[in-house]
Amino acid sequence: MKKQKTRSGIQRKYIKYTVALLLLALLLSCGGVSWVVQKNQETVMMDTYNTMCENLGASLDLLYEKTDEVTADCITYDSVQKSLRSSAMSGTQRSALSKYFAYINLDDVAEYCYVDNKKNVYTKSYSKLTFHAFRESGMEQFLKGSYATTKWFWTEDTLFGTGQEALFVGRYVHNMDYVHEPGMLFLKMDPAFLQEIAGSEKNLDPGVLMQITDADGAVCFQSGTKTESKNTLSYVQERISAAKGTGMIISREKTGNGMLCAYRQKDSGMTISIFVPDFVLYAGMGKILTVLVMIFLLVMLFAVILSVYFSKRLSLPIQKISKKMAGFHGNDYTRMEELHTRTELDQIGHSYNEMLGNIEQLVTEVKSQEKELRTVEVNMLLNQMNPHFLYNTLDTIYMLARINKEETTMRMIQALSKYLRLSLSKGEEIVTVADELENVKSYMEIQQIRNADLFRYEIHCDEETQQERMLKLILQPLVENAIKYGFDSQEHYRIEITIRREKEELVLSVYNSGTPITPDACEKINGLMQLPIADMKNSFQSRKNGYGIVNVLTRLRLTYEDQLSFYVISKEDGTTFVIRIPRQV
Amino acid sequence: MKKRQSQIAYMLLCILLPVLLLTGCGQKQPEEMAQADETVEIPMILTVSPSSGKKSEQDVVDAFNTAYQGKYHIAVEWIMETEEEYRQNLKRLNVTDKLPAVITDLRMLPSYYRLMIEDHRIVDLAPYIEADPEWKQMIEPVVLDGCSEPDGSVYLSPISTAAFSCSGIFWNEELFAQAGIEEFPQTWEEFWSCCEKLQAKAITPLGLHTEGTGWSAMLLATAEMADSEEGAAFMNELYPSSYQNDCIYHMADTLQRLYKYTTKDAMNADFDVAYNNFVAGKVAMVANGYWMIDQLPEEFREKVRFSPFPGNKLVSSPETFGWAVVDSYSEEVKQGAIEFLKFRTAENQKLKEELFARDTDASRLLQDYIRAYRGQPQIVPNYQVKWNSVLQERTLGEALPALAQKKITQADFVRMLGESVTESKKEE
Repeated sequence: MKKQKTRSGIQRKYIKYTVALLLLALLLSCGGVSWVVQKNQETVMMDTYNTMCENLGASLDLLYEKTDEVTADCITYDSVQKSLRSSAMSGTQRSALSKYFAYINLDDVAEYCYVDNKKNVYTKSYSKLTFHAFRESGMEQFLKGSYATTKWFWTEDTLFGTGQEALFVGRYVHNMDYVHEPGMLFLKMDPAFLQEIAGSEKNLDPGVLMQITDADGAVCFQSGTKTESKNTLSYVQERISAAKGTGMIISREKTGNGMLCAYRQKDSGMTISIFVPDFVLYAGMGKILTVLVMIFLLVMLFAVILSVYFSKRLSLPIQKISKKMAGFHGNDYTRMEELHTRTELDQIGHSYNEMLGNIEQLVTEVKSQEKELRTVEVNMLLNQMNPHFLYNTLDTIYMLARINKEETTMRMIQALSKYLRLSLSKGEEIVTVADELENVKSYMEIQQIRNADLFRYEIHCDEETQQERMLKLILQPLVENAIKYGFDSQEHYRIEITIRREKEELVLSVYNSGTPITPDACEKINGLMQLPIADMKNSFQSRKNGYGIVNVLTRLRLTYEDQLSFYVISKEDGTTFVIRIPRQV
Repeated sequence: MKKRQSQIAYMLLCILLPVLLLTGCGQKQPEEMAQADETVEIPMILTVSPSSGKKSEQDVVDAFNTAYQGKYHIAVEWIMETEEEYRQNLKRLNVTDKLPAVITDLRMLPSYYRLMIEDHRIVDLAPYIEADPEWKQMIEPVVLDGCSEPDGSVYLSPISTAAFSCSGIFWNEELFAQAGIEEFPQTWEEFWSCCEKLQAKAITPLGLHTEGTGWSAMLLATAEMADSEEGAAFMNELYPSSYQNDCIYHMADTLQRLYKYTTKDAMNADFDVAYNNFVAGKVAMVANGYWMIDQLPEEFREKVRFSPFPGNKLVSSPETFGWAVVDSYSEEVKQGAIEFLKFRTAENQKLKEELFARDTDASRLLQDYIRAYRGQPQIVPNYQVKWNSVLQERTLGEALPALAQKKITQADFVRMLGESVTESKKEE
C-alpha cells in the first residue's frame, strides 16, 4: 500500500499563504523601493547636472566678463585712444600698439586684429593683414547694432584666412573725448578657450553630452564620447532654440531618453547645455535592484524555513488531535496524552479527554437505561392482564369469604380492591388528593391486617384540599418506607399523614413515631435534590435501600422539575417526610 | 461564495499595499518661486565727497524711491571720487558701454557732451517736456534756455530754478574779524586790500587749487574779468575761437595774483584741499556754489558767511545741473529715468519755494546766499560751460601751476589757452 504523506493541511496552507504573501511583499517592495530609488536617483542626478550646468554657466559668465574687462582695458588704453584722435600716430607708436595687444591679460588668444579709424590694422607681427582684407572678411557686420558692447560670435575665420570656424570676441572702440569714427577690435580665440569651461567640471561622465552653442544654434564646443543619436542632438538644438530668456533657460527637463538643462549667457547669447542620457541618469539602478532582490530572496528563504519549523511545532499536536479524533469509533475511550505546546491546543487536547470521559459515562448510562427499559417493557407486558378478570376474581374470593364468614379476609380483599383501582386508575398519572388518600388508606389497612393492628394511622386533610390534584402513588411508598424502617414494636406506633395548602403550594407530610432516621440517611435523602436525576439511585449502597424514595423523587422531579421541595425532618419522637408541590389550577 | 470574497480581499490588498507604500514615499515639490519683483531698477552712479563724506543728491534719490516704491527704484552706486575723477569715469563708462541710466555733470565736459549727443548716447528730452505742461511750467525760462541746444533739443534735464546754481565767496567771519575786517569787500580793490590785511595778520586769505580746471581760482578770476564790459562779453561767448585778448591776459594776471594769497599745498591739488583748508580755518575764503552750504560741518557753518564776488557778481550756469538719460537702456528704464528727472525738477521748485518763503528763519549763511541772489547780481556764465574741453581738461591743469609758480608768464598762459582752441578744432 502506498504510504500517504502525512503533511498537515494547515501547515501546507500556512506555508502556501506565507510564500504567497512574501512573494507579494517582494514584488510590491521591489516595485516600491525601485520606484523610490529610481526617483531619488533621478532627482539627485538631475540636481547634480543642473547645478553643474549652472556652474558651467557661471564659468561662461566669468569668461565673458574677463573678455569684457580685457577689451575695456584695451579701449581705454592711452595709445588706443590716441590712435582714434585726429592726428596720426608715428610708425613707432603704431608698432608699439601692435605689440600691446599681444600682452593683454587673456589666455588662449590665437590672433588679434585692431583697426583704427585711419585704416591702420594692428595685428601680430607675422600677420600681413591689410585694411582691404579686413573689409573683405566681413567681420565688421558682427558688431553692427552695438555701441561698444563686447560681442562673441562663432564664425568661419575669414579674417586670418584659416577658413576654420572659431570663436571671435569683437568690440567697437570709441574715442573717450571727441566725436570720431570708432575703431574695431577682434580677438580670435583658440579652441582651448571654451575647452577650459568643460575642463572645470572634473566629474562630467563621458556619456553626458555637453555643448556650447552660439545664438544661432551653431555648436562651438561639444564633449561626451558616447554621443547620442542624431534625433537627440537635433531635439536638444531645437529645444534650446525655442527657449527664451537668459540664465537657466532649461532646468531639469525630462525628455524621452534623458534629461536636458541649459544656461544662456545673457551678454554673448552663448548657451551651454547638458544632456544626460537615461543610462547615465539611472546608472547603478541595476546593482541596487540586484542587491534588493537578493536580500528579499534571502529573507524569503529564511521566512519559509522558519515558517516550516514553527508551523510544524503547531501542526504536529493538531495532527495528533486529528488522528485521535479520526480513530475514535466509540469503543476505545483511552485518553490521549496531554499536550505541552503552551498554546490553546493544550486546552483543546485536555477538553477532548474530558469529552471522551463524558461520552463514556453517557454511553454507560444509556446502556443501563436501555437495560432498565427492557425490564420495564417486560413488566408492562405482565401488567397487561385484564383488570376486570382481576376484580371478578377478587369478588368471587370476597363472596367465598363472606359465605365462610371470614371477616378478615373480606376486609383485606376490599382494601386490596381499592388499592388496585387507584394504582391502575385507568393509566392516569395525576389524581385528586382524595384518591391518593384512598389509595394509601387501603394500603395501610392491608398492612394493619398483616401486622395485627400493631400501628395506628391518622390522616389530616380538609375537604377542599382533597379536591386538589397531584401525582399519584406518592404517599404509599413513603408509608411503606415508614412501616419498613420506622416500626420498632412500640405500643403506640403511629403514622400521621397531613395534606394542606400553603398559598400556591400543596404540602404533604408523612410522619412516623418509630425509630428516627439516622443522620447519615437523613443527609443523603436531603442531598438528593442537588444531584442529577440519574445519579440519585447511586446515593445508597444497596439497590434495595432507598429505592422507594428515589423512585418517588424521580417521578416528582420529572413531573414538577425544579418547582418542588423534598426533605426529611428527623426528631427524637419520629421522622417526617415533607413534599411541597405546586398546586394545579 | 467564500472563495469569491477571498479573491476580492486579495485584490484589494494588492491594490492598497502599493498605494500605502507609495503614499509615504511621495515628496512635495518645493513651492513655486515667488513672482519676480516688478520694480524697474534705474542704475545711477553718484559720488560721496572725499572731503565731507556726504553723499551727493541723496535726498532727491531717497524721496523718489519712497514716492515710487514698487514701480521705480534708483539703484545708486555710491563711489568716493572727486568730481574730476567722476567725470573722467563717465568717459570710460561710455566707451565700454557701461554707463548708468542717469548721468550728471555732462555739461561740465563740453566735448564729451557733444560726443554723447552726436553718437545718440543720450535721450532728447524736449518731446517729453513739451508733452508735459506741468513739467515745463516748473522750469524757469533761463534754466530751460541754458539746457536747450540751438536746434531746440534738450539733452540735459533742467532743474526748476537758477537760484541754487550760483557761486560766490564763502568767508570765515572769525578770521576776517581777526584782521579787523567787518564787511566783505564790495570792489576788487577792496578785495585785494582785504587779502593784504589778512596776510598781514598771518592769515592765508584764499583756498585755491590747480588740478581739474582750477575751479576755485577760475571762479574768482573769471568773475574779476567780467568786471569790465569786455570781460563780461567774453564770458558770454560759447567756445571762443581765440583767447588772444586783453581780457585773458588780465585774467592770467589776476590768477597769478590770487595764487600769491593761497596755501603752499594748493599746487597740483584738487578742490578738496582748498575746501579742507577752509573748513580747518587755515584760509579765510574759498569760492564755490550754493551746494557747499549743506556740505559744511554744522558747528563750522556758524562762522561762515557768503557774499557775491566783488562788484556784486555771481557765477552761474544752471545747465551744469542738468542730468541726462542714457539712450541704450530699455524703454521702461528710460521712462523711469525721465520720471525721476521730472521729480527732481519738482523737488527743486519745492525747495526754492520753501527756502525763499522762510528766508528769515533760515541759517545766517543761507540768508546771506538768498540776499546775494536777490541783490540783483551780475550773473557771470560758468567758464566750464563756455570754454572748450581741451582748455579745461588739459591746458588749465598744466598752465595754472606753472603760472602760479611763475614758471610761465601771463603771455605764455594766453598762448597755451590759444593752442587749446587749435587742438580742440583739430579733434572736431
